[in-house]
Amino acid sequence: MTYTKLGLTVMLISLLAVATALTGCPPQQSADGVIVEPPIDDAAQGAGASGAINQIGSTTVLPIAEAWQRAFTSAHPEIKINVSGGGSGTGIKSLADGTAHIANASRGIKDQEIQDAQARGVEPVEHVVAYDGIAAVVHPSVGVDTLSIEQLSDIYSGEVTNWSQIGGADSEIIVVSRDSASGTYESWKEMVIQQGGEAEDRDYTPAALKQQSNEGIRSTVAGTPGAIGYIGLGYINDSVKVLSVSPLGGGDAVVPSVESVQSGDYPVARELYMYTNGEPTGAIATYFEWGLSEEGQKIVQEAGFVPVN
Amino acid sequence: MMKRRAKRISEWIIERLIQVSGVLGIILVLLIFFFLLRNSLPMFQERSLSDLLLGEKWSPTHGDGHFGMLPLLLGSLYVTVGALIIAIPLALAVAIFVAEIAPRWMREFLKPAIELIAAIPSVVFGFLGLLVIGPWIAEHVEAIRVGQFAALGSVMLAFMALPTIVSICEDALHNVPRDIFNSSLALGATRWQTITRALLPAARSGIIAGCLLGLGRAIGETMTVLMVTGNAQVMPQGLEGFLKPIRTMTATIAAEMGETAVGSTHFHALFTIGLFLFIITFAVNTIADVIVRRSEKDIA
Repeated sequence: MTYTKLGLTVMLISLLAVATALTGCPPQQSADGVIVEPPIDDAAQGAGASGAINQIGSTTVLPIAEAWQRAFTSAHPEIKINVSGGGSGTGIKSLADGTAHIANASRGIKDQEIQDAQARGVEPVEHVVAYDGIAAVVHPSVGVDTLSIEQLSDIYSGEVTNWSQIGGADSEIIVVSRDSASGTYESWKEMVIQQGGEAEDRDYTPAALKQQSNEGIRSTVAGTPGAIGYIGLGYINDSVKVLSVSPLGGGDAVVPSVESVQSGDYPVARELYMYTNGEPTGAIATYFEWGLSEEGQKIVQEAGFVPVN
Repeated sequence: MMKRRAKRISEWIIERLIQVSGVLGIILVLLIFFFLLRNSLPMFQERSLSDLLLGEKWSPTHGDGHFGMLPLLLGSLYVTVGALIIAIPLALAVAIFVAEIAPRWMREFLKPAIELIAAIPSVVFGFLGLLVIGPWIAEHVEAIRVGQFAALGSVMLAFMALPTIVSICEDALHNVPRDIFNSSLALGATRWQTITRALLPAARSGIIAGCLLGLGRAIGETMTVLMVTGNAQVMPQGLEGFLKPIRTMTATIAAEMGETAVGSTHFHALFTIGLFLFIITFAVNTIADVIVRRSEKDIA
C-alpha cells in the first residue's frame, strides 16, 4: 500500500466516521461485528448485464479484485461491481446469506461452510483466480542460501535471533515484516510462522520491523546487513538475495519462481479463490471469463501474484 | 441614513458569522471527543483499563487479540521526549538570537525562514529520514543496526516542532518590557547576564508554553514517525531503546486502520488509542494555554 493510499484511507475513514457520529445511526452489524450491507434483490443475482455484483472477502485477494474491478468496469461500464474486504470467512458467509455474489477467499472453503451454504440453498462453486507465492529474501551479505519452513518459523517467532544458530555467520537477525493491515502478513503467518497450522500458538516476534509495502521490505532488507524479509514474487530484484525454501517435514529446497509456484513445488504458495453460487451466468460469467483470460491474468501478475496459466 | 443602516446590518451579520465559527469550533471538538468515546467504549467491556494501559503485548490479530498498549505509549514517550531534548535548547538559542542579538535586517529574514520549516509536509521529513539520514547513520554508527529507530524519529520531530517553539519563545522574549533590559544593563550586567538572568526568567511562562505546544505537535505527528521509526511494537529498554526500532500510538492507528474490519475489537482498540492520544494532547494544550494566559497577565 502506498503512503498516499494510506493517507486517503485514513481520511476517508475519519470522514465516514464523523458522518456516522453526526447522523447517530450506527451501521447494521451482524453477530460477529462485521458490517453487513443490505441484501440485494435476487433479480440482480447473476442476471443479465444490469445490477451490481457484490464481491466480499479476503484481504489477500482484495488487490486482485480491485484491479479487476477497475479494468473490467472500464471495458464493461454497464456492469457495476462492489468490492470489499473483511476476510475469507466473512466473504463465504456473505455468499451463503445472499449478501455477496462472489466470495473472495485465500483458503479453500471448509466442509462446515459448504453445509451451511447448502442449508440456505446456496451451492458454492470454486474458481482458482491466482496463486499467492511469497519469497523469503535476505541482505546479500547473509551467508545462508536455504532455509526450511521450520527455520523460517523459528526466525519470525523470535526463537532464533542469530544467523549462527542456523549455519550462518555470528550476526543478529533483523526481522522485517509487513504491517498487520496486509494480506501478505496473514499469509506468511499462516503458511510459515504457524507452519500451516502445525504451530498455531506462534506469532510474529514483536521485534519485527513493520513496513507498509513490498518495496518497503525490499529496500530495508537491501540496506540492512543481517536482515530477512518476505515479498511477493513480482517484487524480487537484484538488490536482495532470494532464499530457497524446503517444505515442512524435510525435502529438497525449491527456488521461488512462477513455474515452481504454478507446479506446487514451492512451499510458501497457495491458491487464491473466488466462490460463486452455482456455475456463474450472465454478468458474473463474463467477469470470470475476462478475469481468467490473458488480460485478467496480466493484472494478477501486476498486483504481485502468480497467474494461473 | 440608508448607508449607515446597511453598514449596521452587514456588521451584525459578520459578528454573528464569527460567533457561529467560534461556537462551531467548540462543538466540533466535543463531537470528536464523543465520537472517540463512543467507538472506544466497547473496548473497555472486553479488557480492563489496566490490561490496556499496562499490557506489554500488542498483537491484535493473533488469537483473541493482545491489546497491551504500554509498548505504544512508551514508544510515543521515547520519541517525543527525545524530540524535546533536541528541540528545546536549539529553539531557545534561536529565539534568543533572533529576539535579542540579531540585527534588525537579519531578524526580519530569519523569522519567516524558520516559520517556513512548518510549511514542509511531514511526509517529506519522513522520506528524508527513511532514505537519506537513516541509512547513512546505520552505515556509520556501530551501535545502530537498522536505519529506522526511535532517535531518528526524535531528530525529525525536533525539526518539525522547532518553528512552533521558536515562534512562541521569540514572541515571549520580545514582549518583555524594554525597561527590564535597560535596567539590567544600567546596573552593570553584561549582555549575557542580562539575557540569562533578567530576560529568560521574565519570559519563562511564554517559553514553557511554547515547549508544551511543541510537545503537543510532536506527540501527535504520524506520517514521519510511521516512516522512520521501524514500527516494532517492543518495550523500549533504557537509553538503548533510543537506538532501536520502536512504535508510536499514532503510527499504529495509521498502519492498522486501513484493513481493520469496522466494528471488530481491533477497530475499537485503535479508537481507544485515539482516545488516549486525544486526552494527552488536550491536557498538554490546556496546560500550555493556562500558562500563556498567566504570562500575559504577568506582563500586563
